[in-house]
Amino acid sequence: MTLLVVKNLRLCCNGTLILHDVSLTVGEGEIVGLLGPNGAGKTTTILAALGLFEPVAGSIRTLGHDPQIHGAALRRQIGVLPDPNGFYDWMTAPSYLAFFAGLYGCTLDDASITHRLEAVGLTPAAGQSIGTFSRGMRQRLGLARALIADPKLLVLDEPTSGLDPRGRRDIHDLLSSLAKSGVGILLCTHLLDDVERLCARACFIVGGRTVAEGRIADLLRAGAGQARFRLELSGPVPVTAKLPVNARIIVEDYATVTVDVDPAVHPDIAWRELLDLGWPITTIAHESGGLEQVYLDVVTTSIAPETMAISPIGRAV
Amino acid sequence: MSALTLLARKEAGELVLSPRGLGWLLAVSVALSSFGLLLVGSKELSLLDNAQVVYDMLGIATALGALLAVASGVDAIAGERERGSLLPLLLAPLSRNALLLGKMGGQVAAWAMMLAIALPYLWSVGSTGQNLLGGSMALLLLGTPVVAGFGLLAMGLGTRLGSARATLMLCAIVLLVSASPLILDPSLRRSAIGVAFDAVNPFSAALNAYDSVVIDGQGALAQGWHALVAALWFSATAAFAASGIRGLRR
Repeated sequence: MTLLVVKNLRLCCNGTLILHDVSLTVGEGEIVGLLGPNGAGKTTTILAALGLFEPVAGSIRTLGHDPQIHGAALRRQIGVLPDPNGFYDWMTAPSYLAFFAGLYGCTLDDASITHRLEAVGLTPAAGQSIGTFSRGMRQRLGLARALIADPKLLVLDEPTSGLDPRGRRDIHDLLSSLAKSGVGILLCTHLLDDVERLCARACFIVGGRTVAEGRIADLLRAGAGQARFRLELSGPVPVTAKLPVNARIIVEDYATVTVDVDPAVHPDIAWRELLDLGWPITTIAHESGGLEQVYLDVVTTSIAPETMAISPIGRAV
Repeated sequence: MSALTLLARKEAGELVLSPRGLGWLLAVSVALSSFGLLLVGSKELSLLDNAQVVYDMLGIATALGALLAVASGVDAIAGERERGSLLPLLLAPLSRNALLLGKMGGQVAAWAMMLAIALPYLWSVGSTGQNLLGGSMALLLLGTPVVAGFGLLAMGLGTRLGSARATLMLCAIVLLVSASPLILDPSLRRSAIGVAFDAVNPFSAALNAYDSVVIDGQGALAQGWHALVAALWFSATAAFAASGIRGLRR
């Protein structure tokens, strides 16, 4: 079952067109990454999916219903970790969760609250007031609040920001187990490592438009990262040697060089040119640039297609 | 327990349990103590008629109540928005009417606390006369809509202005202008502008009702025009706050 369907969403805020054409879907048991630069419209898309913004055009179906009509009833079945995410500093974590449980119409006994705090690793801080919590602890509490009503759909905005590596791994494990139990998760983050580890699919929004959507594996295959290679050398790169115009060095060590080759050019042409220029190449290994490379390419292409280079990172030779 | 009741209880709890709320209550108590001591301890002021002293105390209690309601109203929307705690509430399965009424729980608690704090002071300065009961009734009947209106105004402005500080400043200015009859010379209030201002100013309506009940000995229930002005003020600010809360997006 598809839990969230956003189709050709167009949205105005205070007379300004914020979203031009956004489409995305989240299925049952699926973790979908929502990616894009700051101000791209990710949070607005999330808030529209929850019924806080009314679209000018396009359609939103959250759990099969229009959130503009069934907003309050739908929000009972959706867990949200928004950004910004504030708390009542004078409360303790258990009283805060009990308060929100009441707002969501569920009564939680002490054992259920303890269990939920345990799930996000907050049991030792149960007696402290929230005012004494660190940023990471607040993130954990926000996640516990999002899970308070056993939601079918989770919408998380930067859930692992401010967490230490161990905390991040705990949250990854928790989200993975929730997805396995059938919860659909929309993960809005700038941490591409989170997306690569957790998500099956990703949706890129740039300038209020969905510019790419698909399975992570497909995006990686189709992206410019396909044209990244790791060259092992028997000696240093010749200092005087020029690099062909269709290649660019990304990382350079004594005996290894990572090179991006223009996807329009067959790599063999570049290797022949490099060998002719005196590069002591011993091995050529194809290497994916990862999601970061895909992200940078997608964003750069979408912002200024005519200035798109092979890669915006690295040093040109 | 309904979501509305829970929210109202949280708002009231914030006033009593949070350092910010306790600070406001302490400030109100100190102000009332200072004023009470002045009325009882000062040689000149202690010669005032008992009815006049009760009237003055009612005015001060209303002004402090309105100030407390403004602080609570600013914090309820603009303050929570700045601290990022409003968005989780907007994303909870809570209707906007329930949000407004729940947030008003903070106003009710603030006013109830104000009354609880002010009554002993009223008793201490007015227990020797016959004006205490009538005065207290007038405070409850006329003071409540006026004070609640200031809280609603603060909530309504908080939904529209970006910052808590700007909302507090604007509300403080409105309160200062409204409560000016407390400190204006009676002759100024009798001028054409003063009379016109008094006729529409909700704070003046409360003060004039206290005057009629405590000094002129009229019944608290016989304050038709004053009650109408106070009710209109409450309705207008409630509509202002409700439309603002309905339009809240984040």
